[in-house]
Amino acid sequence: MLEILIQLLPSVLLEGLILGFVYAMIALGYTMVYGVLELINFAHSEIFMAGAVAGAETFILLKGAIANPFLLLALAILIGGAVAAIVAILVERLAYRPLRKRGTTNRLVPLITAIGVSFFLQDLVRLIEGLWHNAFYRRYPSFAVFEATYNLPNWIGVLTIALTVWLGFWVLAYFGDWLIRLFAKKPRATGRTLSLVAAGLTLVFLFLYRHVVFADLGMTIQMKSILVIVVSLAMLYGLNWLVHKTKLGIAIRAVAQDAQTASLMGIDPDVIVSRTFLIGGFLGGVAGVLFGLLYTLVHPYVGFIPGIKAFTAAVLGGIGNITGAAVGGLVLGMLEMLGGTYLTFLTNGAMGTEYKDILAFMILIFILLFRPQGIIGQQLGEKV
Amino acid sequence: MSEAPILEVERVTKTFGGLVAVNDVSVSIPRGMIFAVIGPNGAGKTTFFNLLTGIYKPDKGRILFDGEEITGRDPAWIAARGMARTFQNIRLFGSMTAVENVMVARHVHTKTSYADALLRTPRFQREEKKALERSLELLEYMQLGHRAHELAKNLPYGEQRRLEIARALALEPKLLLLDEPAAGMNPQETEDLQRRIVGIRDDLGVTILLIEHDMQLVMSISERIAVLDYGSKILEGTPEEVQNDPRVIEAYLGRGAAEGAS
Repeated sequence: MLEILIQLLPSVLLEGLILGFVYAMIALGYTMVYGVLELINFAHSEIFMAGAVAGAETFILLKGAIANPFLLLALAILIGGAVAAIVAILVERLAYRPLRKRGTTNRLVPLITAIGVSFFLQDLVRLIEGLWHNAFYRRYPSFAVFEATYNLPNWIGVLTIALTVWLGFWVLAYFGDWLIRLFAKKPRATGRTLSLVAAGLTLVFLFLYRHVVFADLGMTIQMKSILVIVVSLAMLYGLNWLVHKTKLGIAIRAVAQDAQTASLMGIDPDVIVSRTFLIGGFLGGVAGVLFGLLYTLVHPYVGFIPGIKAFTAAVLGGIGNITGAAVGGLVLGMLEMLGGTYLTFLTNGAMGTEYKDILAFMILIFILLFRPQGIIGQQLGEKV
Repeated sequence: MSEAPILEVERVTKTFGGLVAVNDVSVSIPRGMIFAVIGPNGAGKTTFFNLLTGIYKPDKGRILFDGEEITGRDPAWIAARGMARTFQNIRLFGSMTAVENVMVARHVHTKTSYADALLRTPRFQREEKKALERSLELLEYMQLGHRAHELAKNLPYGEQRRLEIARALALEPKLLLLDEPAAGMNPQETEDLQRRIVGIRDDLGVTILLIEHDMQLVMSISERIAVLDYGSKILEGTPEEVQNDPRVIEAYLGRGAAEGAS
């Protein structure tokens, strides 16, 4: 039993990582908008959906004209991202900015507006798709190249197991250290001792289970998953560069920290807010296309669950914090996959993969209760 | 053109509810001058600055900056036209480095399009490099070169004050507003600041308008002083005129003190 659980671990974590990248990219949209406006843009899940649907239409329309699936994917990503960015900018211009200009101080008002915009966009897309195709479920076409499966070398799996077990012990040690300090008021050195013990136990564990660990783990990865990882990493790198190395990035960070002072330095906060929606929307749209590529079926209501999961990821990492959103996305994706897979085993099938959503939202509740600043923390002042 | 005043404030009034914060104030500031606004606490000095920079819109009156009407314009628009300021309570972007703080104010002077940025065209690289170099120069000018890559919030107080001035100068202002630049400084730092303010005016030809409580500083560097009390301008003149006017003593110390002094 335990052996199966351990053997599954690398594959499950890999799946979680892939899903996590999609969450991370959506979460960035939430976190950046929160950074500059302190607004949870709940319409972001529909911006993601708009990207996913636009990507599907691109694939379907151009499938005949363009033979190369990679070129097709590149076009779908660009168009999906662009459509989502335009939707995001329009939402800000037509829904949020008028409220800001009116000087609404009640933070519930923009929040409810966001939910209203969300419903509006869902049904708008449904209307457009309905008039256009007489159906609003769209499927990403499948390509043999994307579905192709590759075997991963065994050492990746072995390394993953080793790292996970070590991390697990480390967390236990950290928790133990906390308990000890709570009850015995011992000096802090216990933490280091315990993490050394954790490292030692990891080695012992690996020794005991070496017949499992060195067995063939049979890890595989699909081409489309590789594409998701590559595109997400490129986007995350690009965003990081943009925020830290360009004048737009500096302006975004300045507005996030203190919009009034930024305006006194000649930066128009409205322009920067608009650009922020553009960037967040583009990332959300690209995430939509990647999501479609992974799960094939998209429709006007497809954004809700991934959207709220990505919101969870943003809160998990620390809302307003870009690194936090990325980390939160990856962690949530992996936790969800772990929960989804192992719950079935541990409960003998009584609780299936459908409980992974419950797990994700339980994480949201616990984070909000016990660590509202998120894993990485650094709220507000330090945000973006 | 250059003979016309850099800033003309004509009968500006601002009220908050029943409180008249700035009452019918007119001021004209010639180019290249160091001009001070003084007055007791709550006299409306900072409100006056906020009216100039566009944070508040005046209820009455108008403001002309460099021959152009700026009444009711957005702060960013006014700042981009060359009015920069520092703050009474330091308002740096704490979690950005010193040089990034300065680069924020270079924003309006950096011309790159998004296509440039995405493709990293030579123009983009040139512009970004120029912005960085100019910002580092300004830090050097304010003797903060060695702090360029430290977070603003980690700098000592006096250096944060200097960084605010460096940031304001990055806008390439025609008019620099200093809101209590000597607040919290020891006598030696104040003396240093005094030389620096005069230096900025002489080196860069920037007109300077300052609010300050340190009378020694005000009297030694200002060429002209306006006195505000309860939102009204009660007097304007040279330091000597202001120093010897009983109305000023009265405003600061009350009527009895003024009678005793005269």
